[in-house]
Amino acid sequence: MLKVTNLETTYNDIILALKGISIEVSPEKIVAILGANGAGKTTTINAISGIRKTINLEVEDGTIEFDGEILNDKEPYEIVTRGILQVPEGRRIFAELTIAENLMIGAYSLQNRGHFQTNKEMVFNYFPILSERTRQLAGYLSGGEQQMLAIARALVANPKLIMMDEPSLGLAPMIVQEIFEIIRRINHERDMTILLVEQNAHMALAIAHYGYILENGRVVMEGSSKKLRQDKDIREFYLGLSESGGRKSFREVKHYKRRKRWLS
Amino acid sequence: MIMEKIIDIIFSGLSMGAIYALVALGFVLIFKSTGILNFAQGELCMVGAFICYYFATLLNVPYLISILMAIALGAMLGALIDVLIFRRLVGEPIYATIMVTIGLASILVALTGLIWGHDTYSIRSPFIGKTIVAGKMVFAQASLATIVVSIVLFILFIVFFNRSLLGVALKGTAEDSDTAGLMGINVKKMHMLAWTIGALVAGVAGIFLAEQSFVHTGMSHTGIKAMSAAILGGMESLGGAIIGGIIVGVVESFAASYLSGLEMGGFHFGDIKDVAAFAIMILVLMIRPHGIFGKKEVERV
Ligand SMILES: Nc1ncnc2c1ncn2[C@@H]1O[C@H](COP(=O)(O)OP(=O)(O)O)[C@@H](O)[C@H]1O
Ligand SMILES: [Mg+2]
Repeated sequence: MLKVTNLETTYNDIILALKGISIEVSPEKIVAILGANGAGKTTTINAISGIRKTINLEVEDGTIEFDGEILNDKEPYEIVTRGILQVPEGRRIFAELTIAENLMIGAYSLQNRGHFQTNKEMVFNYFPILSERTRQLAGYLSGGEQQMLAIARALVANPKLIMMDEPSLGLAPMIVQEIFEIIRRINHERDMTILLVEQNAHMALAIAHYGYILENGRVVMEGSSKKLRQDKDIREFYLGLSESGGRKSFREVKHYKRRKRWLS
Repeated sequence: MIMEKIIDIIFSGLSMGAIYALVALGFVLIFKSTGILNFAQGELCMVGAFICYYFATLLNVPYLISILMAIALGAMLGALIDVLIFRRLVGEPIYATIMVTIGLASILVALTGLIWGHDTYSIRSPFIGKTIVAGKMVFAQASLATIVVSIVLFILFIVFFNRSLLGVALKGTAEDSDTAGLMGINVKKMHMLAWTIGALVAGVAGIFLAEQSFVHTGMSHTGIKAMSAAILGGMESLGGAIIGGIIVGVVESFAASYLSGLEMGGFHFGDIKDVAAFAIMILVLMIRPHGIFGKKEVERV
């Protein structure tokens, strides 16, 4: 479905953010891209979404292929018409617009406007809290509700692929649990293909089928979630678990961070 | 007697205020959507008036058709300006884009003067000189038409921006164009739409202004007053622009009525009329730097 091959990108013609990464997303799966801050996760999905000019991002090499078509030079709105929607990092809901208007814009790419109503009902089924507050300004929602709206806004377009950039960012653990359960349900019940970008490896690997580990613009490891969850290094570096299975102490994590730098 | 005078002042204030409001509306719309402060807004207004004059007076085309031609051509000019110039300048520093709009304003004045001359002309409108008498009050038909048509336009705008997909998409683009793109909106097309609508309302305002006074290249100064109306209204919402425009129009009308002819030791107080708009703008901004309805940002949780 989505196939990224040897993607290399620069910011401002100098900073090499992605150094040739290859990622594949198969239909109806949740695929996770995991990595620390600055690893290149957002850059990857922005490149796929065609967000380039406004952030001075350029694709230097490699291809982004979706359903057999090369998307390297497409504008963001053209990517959306191909069926790829993004839930951006930091939610980026339209704060000055109402929830209903946010959803209206989410469904902008719908070819058949007649589907808007049914899609909206489907979305409200996952996020009932939004249906009670459609006329409220989105800016007044809590962080968790804003994240729900951001996902709903993409879902209402009934895309082929949803890319989510750190949906857990800045949210309390309880809310993160709730949102990840909804993401899992959306994939399970609607066969929705999801590319999930996360720093929270623990949560992401719990619902993903497959995962990639990104470090400094390179894929350093990939495999099924099960395999990644059992990998010794990942348990240590990303899940914060030690050999014995317990949580690592802060000092030990720091120690491993030093080692990690040496590894990469 | 005093009541009637006040009604008369408010009436003529509203008819000028509606014109400022229309121009201000376009100004705010273009600014909110594209980030460009268009100092050529008054010139677009003037071009609309000249096109209407060209068809109605010079070519003797029926008045309604002349108006429609002026509005359509004015809107197309707005779209053209975006495609040729401002599409490439989105996101550039504001001092650069402001200078470009000022340059554009001079060019539009020069071109208009080149084509039609810098004299003062009058438009051959069926409303000119006609009045409606209601009891002891006499209202100019041209002013009445301005007020009525403006109210209809304002309602149409409110419906467009709150009900239609295109209008809501334009609001979304104005708030966050990157995210709008991520939702499938063609941001360039939205910018062109903002310029088209902005020029269209300016053209309508220009025709009204021509009906109430004359057609000449100097009428583009209306743009600066409309700008102070927009800033007064907060540069945020179209409602703010409309109310700002009405305030400027009414204050100006009171200043004109009570101060004209007043002379004291060589001072002509009537001249205050032309600076009344700026005086209130300065006063309001000293107290509320974001304008009457402006806010820094919607509070985010
Ligand atoms: N707009 C930008 N201009 C220049 N460098 C950037 C920009 N955005 C990100 N970077 C750099 O690219 C690298 C990858 O960033 P990013 O993709 O945002 O990482 P992540 O999403 O994994 O935290 C980082 O080194 C970051 O500093
Ligand atoms: Mg990121």
